[in-house]
Amino acid sequence: MRNAPETADIVIVGAGASSAAMAWRLSGKGLKIVVLERGDWVDQHRSPSLRPDWELALQSEYHANPNIRRAPADYPVNEVDTPIKPAIFNAVGGGTIRWGAHFPRQHPSDFRVRSLDGVAVDWPLTYDDLVPYYDLNDRMMGVSGLAGDPANPDRAVRPNPPLPMCPATRALAGGFDELGWHWWPSDAAILSVDDANGRSACNSCGPCGLGCPRYARASVDVTYWRSAITAGIELRTGHVVRKLEMGKVGQVNLVRYINSNGHEGTISSQVVVVACNGLGSARLLLASGDGDRDGDGIANASGLVGRNLMLHPTAIVTGVFKEQLKSYRGPFASALYSQEFYESDRERGFVRGFQLQALRGQGPLSTALGGYMRRLPWGTGHHSRFVREFGRTVSLTVTCDDLPESENRVTLEPGNRDRWDMAIPRMYYRLGENTKRMIAFGIDRAREALEAAGARDVVVNPLARQAGFHMLGTARMGLDPKSSVVDADCRCHTVDNLMIIDGSVFPTASAVNPTPTIQAIALRAADRLLARLGMPQERAA
Amino acid sequence: MTTRDPLLASFLGHLLPGDHNGWPTASTLHLARRFREHVTRTPDGTSALALILDHLGDGFMKRAPDDANALLLKFEEEAPDEFERLVVAAYSVYYTDPGVLAAVERLTGYEARPPQPLGHELEPFDEALLANVRRREPFWRRINDILPSDRE
Repeated sequence: MRNAPETADIVIVGAGASSAAMAWRLSGKGLKIVVLERGDWVDQHRSPSLRPDWELALQSEYHANPNIRRAPADYPVNEVDTPIKPAIFNAVGGGTIRWGAHFPRQHPSDFRVRSLDGVAVDWPLTYDDLVPYYDLNDRMMGVSGLAGDPANPDRAVRPNPPLPMCPATRALAGGFDELGWHWWPSDAAILSVDDANGRSACNSCGPCGLGCPRYARASVDVTYWRSAITAGIELRTGHVVRKLEMGKVGQVNLVRYINSNGHEGTISSQVVVVACNGLGSARLLLASGDGDRDGDGIANASGLVGRNLMLHPTAIVTGVFKEQLKSYRGPFASALYSQEFYESDRERGFVRGFQLQALRGQGPLSTALGGYMRRLPWGTGHHSRFVREFGRTVSLTVTCDDLPESENRVTLEPGNRDRWDMAIPRMYYRLGENTKRMIAFGIDRAREALEAAGARDVVVNPLARQAGFHMLGTARMGLDPKSSVVDADCRCHTVDNLMIIDGSVFPTASAVNPTPTIQAIALRAADRLLARLGMPQERAA
Repeated sequence: MTTRDPLLASFLGHLLPGDHNGWPTASTLHLARRFREHVTRTPDGTSALALILDHLGDGFMKRAPDDANALLLKFEEEAPDEFERLVVAAYSVYYTDPGVLAAVERLTGYEARPPQPLGHELEPFDEALLANVRRREPFWRRINDILPSDRE
């Protein structure tokens, strides 16, 4: 006789940015909500940034690529067929443990790509649909910034004042001013002042990507999860979900997992939410279904699960200045941006646009290894080059909108399985022709800006390879079940108790970092779910 | 220490020879053991290490500097991936050595301490910097009431 499976009202798979926002929004309503996360908690009070050899961590336990990091919770990814390598973090907090916390919003035009520019697809949502959730999320994450940016719609006064500039970013701003180009201080999920919840203001240490022992840089383990767990959410770490099994009525019936003790278990849930990022969610859906074979998976009547993978191809252009700028001080990725070239202008030779985002300099070891440029030469010229570059650089990313292409995709390798006996995912990705033209144009503009800022050398990395942080599009939302996987509420068209809430659901990529939009969508999806369940909702704004 | 550590120290010394400004020579910093441990923890590092030791041979330490560099250049040309792994490991142990970080501090003004807990002073944002860009009219595209297209 088999034991009856555990039951829950809602099971959420994954504990990253989207999951945390949704779980918090659903909490306190009397629902039994269980969150299953393959990774563990990260103690940011023991961040490598407190150690003398802190830079080594960026090559090992904090490396963005799971194939290099090889932490206990990581699964291998076949990355042979993609020039942009996977960048994910398997832990409570997901990628927000490892990120730079640059926190921009999409533009209204990003939601009407087909209608305005005649390419890709429109979103079934608008910018205005998400504004109350963007605002709510900004407060929860503790955003610092400044309203009034002419490149974006008006937004509410930011929860905290903007983070300061530094000599390097002031020089860059001067370059943009000289060219008459837009720039604005970044919205950053980093506190510029202490908050009332035990988070301290940023102290400009630099390597946000190593976790923040002050909790100044937001991560959802600190922001959302603490409140959600206090309100009754049950978050179980070390739980790898291997499969979602279908019942007889076209709904997911069972969530099948294995925990870190090797115990296999199941949970039967009224609603199942998948939130494992654009790679992991596609993998789980493709691996799920009734049989033992991996294949088309579930929620895949459209054939689009895993397809239309978008990765925000990014060039990095670095200016080397004559002056010692101490550019390694300050949050590495959250200083300023230019959206001068964000909106479409066909005279440029491409549609859609890109954002230029400032990156500060790096520590001694990262500088020697090349940082955003190239490795310093060994031998007698090494040290003079080091002195010429260390602390004297500032970079601009050229972050491109990435049009969806069906052949860019995540698939499974059934014959190649990980230690949890799951088929490993394979990424297939090529830059589209529109993107290639855009990135070349963007590199020239970034060079122009850096030269106007006074850089004596400009070095181009035409494609950042260890930069697949933004995995988008592999289960996109839309109105038509034939051309999308989920609806505007993140509910699967063909499996009505299954939701997907991470970046997988993006129909198009925009040209900005996606986390604020991912979280706004997740908060909205939570409210829509509560409405379907007949539960009370709170106002978002 | 293994019997090959003097050879590794010599190899490191050619990669990072120091200079008259006060940069320490890698061969004098007793980095061989850390280097060996570091490189063997990296993917394919063990085989890269075996390859370079075989390539250099014990006679490497007696070679004149130009001759030794030529041998390294030849290895770099013949086995670029393996050589790159070794260079990355060499830089990694060198630039996390306290003596080297003290030199970085002395020669560049960098504070040779971990980023936390001290960090750096956080100054207020100077809004005067925005004088030019604030004069600009909003330039984002309005979508007005465009309903979503179901075309693709």
